[in-house]
Amino acid sequence: MSTHASEPLLPRGIETSFAGIDAAFAQVGHGQRLRHPRGLTATVIVIGPRERLLEATDALEHLVGVRAILIAEGAETAPTVRVTDYAIAIDGLRGDYINNAVAALRLSSLPSLAWWRGGASASLEGLADLADRLVLDTADPQAGWNHARTLLDRAAFTDLRWTRLTRWRALMAHLMDIPEVRDAAASMTALRVDAGDAHLAHLFVAWLRSSLEWGGKLTVDVRNAPGGAPLEAVHLGNGRQGLTLRLMPGRTCIEAVASVDGRPGASQTVSLGDQGLAALINEELRIRARDVAFEKALAALDPAG
Amino acid sequence: MHDHPLLDGLRIEPTPGPTSIVIFGASGDLTQRKLLPALYHLSRGQRLPARFTVIGVARTALGDDGFRKKFRDSIKEFAGVDAESDDVAASLTQRMFYMSGELDEPALYDRLAVRLRENGGDHGVLYYLAIPPSAYRSVVERLGAAGLTAAERGWRRIIVEKPFGTDLHSARALNHVLHAHFSEEQVFRIDHYLGKETVQNLMVFRFANGMFEPIWNRRYIDHVQITAAETVGVERRAAYYEGAGALRDMVQNHLMQLLTLVAMEPPIAFTAESVRDRKMDALLSVQPLVDGAHGPSPRIVRAQYAAGWVLGAEVPGYRSEPGVAPGSTTETYVAMRLHLDNWRWAGVPFYLRTGKRLPKRTTEIAIQFRRPPMQIFKRVSPTSVSPNLLIVNVQPDEGISVRFEAKLPGTRMQLAPVMMNFRYGTAFGGTVPEAYETLLLDAMLGEPTLFARHDFVEASWALITPVLERWRSAGPKPIPQYEAGEWGPAEVDVLMAEDGRRWRTL
Ligand SMILES: NC(=O)c1ccc[n+]([C@@H]2O[C@H](COP(=O)([O-])OP(=O)(O)OC[C@H]3O[C@@H](n4cnc5c(N)ncnc54)[C@H](OP(=O)(O)O)[C@@H]3O)[C@@H](O)[C@H]2O)c1
Repeated sequence: MSTHASEPLLPRGIETSFAGIDAAFAQVGHGQRLRHPRGLTATVIVIGPRERLLEATDALEHLVGVRAILIAEGAETAPTVRVTDYAIAIDGLRGDYINNAVAALRLSSLPSLAWWRGGASASLEGLADLADRLVLDTADPQAGWNHARTLLDRAAFTDLRWTRLTRWRALMAHLMDIPEVRDAAASMTALRVDAGDAHLAHLFVAWLRSSLEWGGKLTVDVRNAPGGAPLEAVHLGNGRQGLTLRLMPGRTCIEAVASVDGRPGASQTVSLGDQGLAALINEELRIRARDVAFEKALAALDPAG
Repeated sequence: MHDHPLLDGLRIEPTPGPTSIVIFGASGDLTQRKLLPALYHLSRGQRLPARFTVIGVARTALGDDGFRKKFRDSIKEFAGVDAESDDVAASLTQRMFYMSGELDEPALYDRLAVRLRENGGDHGVLYYLAIPPSAYRSVVERLGAAGLTAAERGWRRIIVEKPFGTDLHSARALNHVLHAHFSEEQVFRIDHYLGKETVQNLMVFRFANGMFEPIWNRRYIDHVQITAAETVGVERRAAYYEGAGALRDMVQNHLMQLLTLVAMEPPIAFTAESVRDRKMDALLSVQPLVDGAHGPSPRIVRAQYAAGWVLGAEVPGYRSEPGVAPGSTTETYVAMRLHLDNWRWAGVPFYLRTGKRLPKRTTEIAIQFRRPPMQIFKRVSPTSVSPNLLIVNVQPDEGISVRFEAKLPGTRMQLAPVMMNFRYGTAFGGTVPEAYETLLLDAMLGEPTLFARHDFVEASWALITPVLERWRSAGPKPIPQYEAGEWGPAEVDVLMAEDGRRWRTL
């Protein structure tokens, strides 16, 4: 989809005003013949700059069982609204009215998830009170992370970079399940990460640091992999023992190898999983509690970036 | 899996510790169709441990390469995966080994012991009996004799496939053989219906919601219908099916499991023993199916499919199927009415029906509620009020539906039933795991809730066996026929009509 400025959010939707949303919903609902009317399970509120919302629209089409509310922040008090059977897009709403709009449109009695694709990090404060969970997803996450740290007691936070790490974290943990590896863990203090997304790499490092509690002993070498996948490879070792995770050439699977005493011990190849936005948000929709591991990783990150 | 800090807050969990799976019957249909694809999906979804091995055993000389080829063929056909270009498949293939030999030959087990030692002394070992039941005994005994049923480090468990015996006597004998070499905690009797998402959800539905359990009893429920309908005929399984029939093949295991999940009292906790104790209570409260001195119970109807038309094709009758005796009296259809002697269900009939060559493939539990005590709309609405229904769809479209009455829009007071549907396939994103994935993983994790306990299997056979004996002693009487593609013989409608009820149209 292009990000042309004049392209409307939800191009296939019916254009209406805020007050006309219910009527528009009835209109789109009327024309539908769903074989199995689906049960709704959550509201997803997407907030961010307009061009980042256009990208999210594609993903929302692949989510099932949710009502989506897209809000592009602007200066309008009577913004343009478009409605489809599952989503409402509000284009250019003034920031201090976002709360009111969401309050009117969210599904009652069901969880809501806010997907924050950027903007003034101050708007996170309002969202923290509106949504059960907040998913950060911005090109430069530093400001959002710093702000989130101050709001952890008010809302459950996560970051889509963190979601991208799910499989990597699990693989690391599985290798640590091997007794020889676990025994040697304390001495594995050299960590090298090759990543196309340095922020994601630092989040991974922070997670390891916060989980394994090496204190200052860990030496970290994060290398930029230009044009690479967000995470390409991770190696944690001490020369004789080591854990290596690496993305396979097809970029759909990760191989994990534990070498013990210089010999390859256990190995495993698993799917990286669907890394598309819809799949990542779907994974977040399944989480209902605070993600304490993420919060600990966030706390272990260097606030200066 | 051991505790360590990296496990905190993991989203993919838990995975078993180092494991070897030994599949007896690795050249067979079940392995090809269900077990290998399930292992592939588990591996892909990161549910298998890093140290994991599959050892296939059967008589056919396949060799490691032959078995690996079978694996590749299997996932191509049943998982739609091209193993040549799939990294997960390639990695799993490297962990597959094969041993050929006669299953009653001790030397085979010595070789197996060596192989397992090579895998690592700390591996848990899961034996899977994907072999004909006639071979169960010798495998269990040989495993015991070779000292392979216990280990200093790592667990040993065994999965036993259906059928578990052919009557009470043989089921007891099989339990006896198993218990001579394995403790009950090591034995996992599979009933793949229990691995289905909806079946597990039935417990959540009943016991995690406050609004259903209060009406889940004789005061509000009129009756329960459980249907397991297949469109297929006997296919290539005549050799087995001729000696089994629908009562053994479907009712003793699957339908009894569904019945007890509907009827059980709330367990005190969601633990294997508590859940299985309450299911056992429910099963023990089922009234005997054969009463006193009368002939075959009128509460049970059996029948056999005749030639007919199913899913757009003409199909032969059961007796004309390859491998079936021309005068066979094996039932391909059973319907029955059961009563449970307990406070919750006294007076509420449970109707069960299952058959082959029925019009559509569907398994469901339908709970029909009583009508409201007064029909206040009778005079203003021309249509009568349909009773509320709660339907648990087990397959193919897993979900739960509720039927209730609503007013038709308009100036007249007119009522119409509406169905509210919850579908697993659409309500939550992601895919619903196959029953065999859930069950294999649970067995590796030592989680027995979704497996049949020894006493359940025996109590279920104790219920069914007198019926089988009655049928046998009645001699070769003609068995009612139903046309393939219809919902069973006329007699089953009579069974319902006697009670003033009707089978649900499906
Ligand atoms: N297929 C299914 O979908 C399904 C569903 C539910 C339950 N089951 C149960 O699973 C078990 C296996 O069923 P299946 O359909 O896979 O059967 P199958 O295709 O006939 O396979 C039987 C397997 O056992 C091996 N075997 C070893 N000793 C044998 C012996 N003495 N006689 C015959 N075979 C022997 C066969 O291989 P060799 O000939 O190479 O030794 C083959 O690998 C049975 O208990 C069946 O009831 C199967």
